Amino acid sequence: MLALLTAPMSLLAAEGGGGGLQFPPIDHIVIWPAWFGAGTFYEFNKITAISGIAMLVPVILFLLAGRNAKLVPTGLQNTMEVALDFVEDQVVAPAIGPEGKRYLPMLVSMFFFIWIGNLFEVIPSAHMPANARMANPLILALVAWAMFIGVGVKHNGLGYFRSALFPPGVPKALYILVTPIELLSTFIIRPFSLAVRLFANMLAGHILLVTFSVLCITLFSASIMAAVLLLSFPMLVAFTGFEFMVAFLQAFIFSLLTAVYIGGALHPAH
Amino acid sequence: MLAQLSVLAAEGSSSINPVVPDNKGELFWGAVFFFLLWILMRYVCLPPLMRIRAQRDAQVQSDLEAAETASTQAEQVRRDYDATLAEARGEASRVLEEARATAEQRRSQQVAAVETELAAERQDAMAELDRQRAAALGELTGDVAELAVAAASKVVQAPLDPAAHRGTVDDYVNRSGGQR
Amino acid sequence: MSALHHAAAIIAQAGDTTGLSAADAKGVSAASGAGMAYGLAAIGPGIGIGYLVGQAVQAMARQPESAGQVQTTMFLGIAFTEALALIGFVVFILLKFV
Repeated sequence: MLALLTAPMSLLAAEGGGGGLQFPPIDHIVIWPAWFGAGTFYEFNKITAISGIAMLVPVILFLLAGRNAKLVPTGLQNTMEVALDFVEDQVVAPAIGPEGKRYLPMLVSMFFFIWIGNLFEVIPSAHMPANARMANPLILALVAWAMFIGVGVKHNGLGYFRSALFPPGVPKALYILVTPIELLSTFIIRPFSLAVRLFANMLAGHILLVTFSVLCITLFSASIMAAVLLLSFPMLVAFTGFEFMVAFLQAFIFSLLTAVYIGGALHPAH
Repeated sequence: MLAQLSVLAAEGSSSINPVVPDNKGELFWGAVFFFLLWILMRYVCLPPLMRIRAQRDAQVQSDLEAAETASTQAEQVRRDYDATLAEARGEASRVLEEARATAEQRRSQQVAAVETELAAERQDAMAELDRQRAAALGELTGDVAELAVAAASKVVQAPLDPAAHRGTVDDYVNRSGGQR
Repeated sequence: MSALHHAAAIIAQAGDTTGLSAADAKGVSAASGAGMAYGLAAIGPGIGIGYLVGQAVQAMARQPESAGQVQTTMFLGIAFTEALALIGFVVFILLKFV
C-alpha cells in the first residue's frame, strides 16, 4: 500500500534523476513569470498577453470584415458573417428569442474572447489556455451574473427577485425549502459553476496535454520505457484534437448558458 | 529521495492555489481586455456588419416582393393574352362562318340562276324541236299524201282529187306517228 | 473517510520508522484523498452524461428534423451534469496542490 501510494510521488520527486520521468508541479505549468510590473495590479505575463490577443484578433477580423462591407459577402466578410450567424442562430435564438439581438455584441465578444483564449491551449509555442487561470473565467462569469440580474431587474422590476426566489405555483409551506435553494442556485452557484466549468475544463485539458507531452519527451530515450511512447504519442495527438474541440465547445457552452440565464431573467414566468 | 519529497510537499502546500484568482494583473488585464472587446464590438466592429445584414434582408425582402408583383403581372398579362387569343379565335371562326355562308348563298344563287337559264334554254330547245318536228311532220305529211294520191291515181288509172284524200292520209300518218 | 485516516495513520507510523515526517504523511494522504475524490466525483456525471446523450441520440433518430434543438439542449444538459465532475476535479486540485 505504501509503495502504491508513494510510487507516483517518487516519479514526481525524481528530479535530476538523470532521464527519469518528472512531472512538473502544477505551479510550473499554470503560473508564468511577470514580463513587467511584478506584484502590482498591472502585472503583465503570458496569460494577460493571450487575453490581449484574444481581444485583438476578433476586433481586427471584424474590422476588416466590416470595412467596405458588401451586400454580397465574399472572403473574410463571409467568414465573419457565418460566425455572427452562428452566435445568433445557435446561442441567441434558442435561448433568448427574437428580442435577444441587443445582447448579441456581448455574447459575440464572450464567445470569441473565450474561444481564442482557449485555442492557445493547442497553438504551438503558446500551449497555455488563458482560461486555465481563474481570472478570465471569473470576470466573464461575474459579467454574466451582473448581466442577467440587471436584465431581470430592468424588465421586471423588483418583481424579478420575487419570481426568482418565490417561484409561482409552489405551495406556500414549501417556500421554506425552495427559497434558500433558489437563492443559492440562482445567485451564488450559477456564476460559480459558470466560472469553474470553463476553468476546470481548460485546466484539466492543459494537465492532460502536459502529462502526455512529458511522457513523450522523457520517454524519447534509449531506456526500456520508450515502449510506452507507442501509446503516449498517439494519445497526445488524439487529445490535442480533442482539446481543439473542447476549446470551441466551452466557448459555445459559456455563451449559451449566459444567454439562457438572460433569457430566463427576461421571461421569469416559466 | 524522501528529503526531496518533503521539499516538494512543502513547496506544494505553500504554493499558490490554482483555483483562486490570486494574480491581480491577470484579473485587471482580463477585465480591461474583455470590456474593451465588448465596447469595440458594440460600437465599432458589429454595426457595419449588422447594417449590411439589415440592408441585405431589406433587399431580399423587396426583391421577393418585386418578384411577387412581377409574377402576378405576368399572370395578368398571360390572362389578357389568353382572352385576346380566344376573342381573335372567335372572330376568325365567325368570319369564316360568315364567308362560308356567303359563299354557300352565292353558290346556290348561281346554281339556281344557271338552272333557270338551263331550264329556259332547254324549254326553248324543246319548243324549237317541237316546232321543227311539227314543221317537218307537216311537210312530210303533205309529201306522203301527194305521193299516196299520185300512187293511188296511178293504181286506179284515173286522176284522184288530192284534196279529197289528203285528210285520210294525214289521219293515218298522225296515228302511226303517235304510235311511234 | 475513516479508512483514509487509518491509511494516513499507517503511513505516518511507517514514516516514523523510515523518516517520513508528519507533513509528508499529510501530503501522501491528501494525494490519495484527491485521487479518490475525483474518482468518486466522476461516477455520477459519467452515468448521467451517458444516459443524457443516449436519450438525445434516440430523440434525434426519432425526429431528425428537431436535431438542432435537441443538440443545443443536450449540450446544456451536459454542461450542467459535467459541472459535478468538474467540481470533483477542483477538489482534486485543492487537495493535491494546496
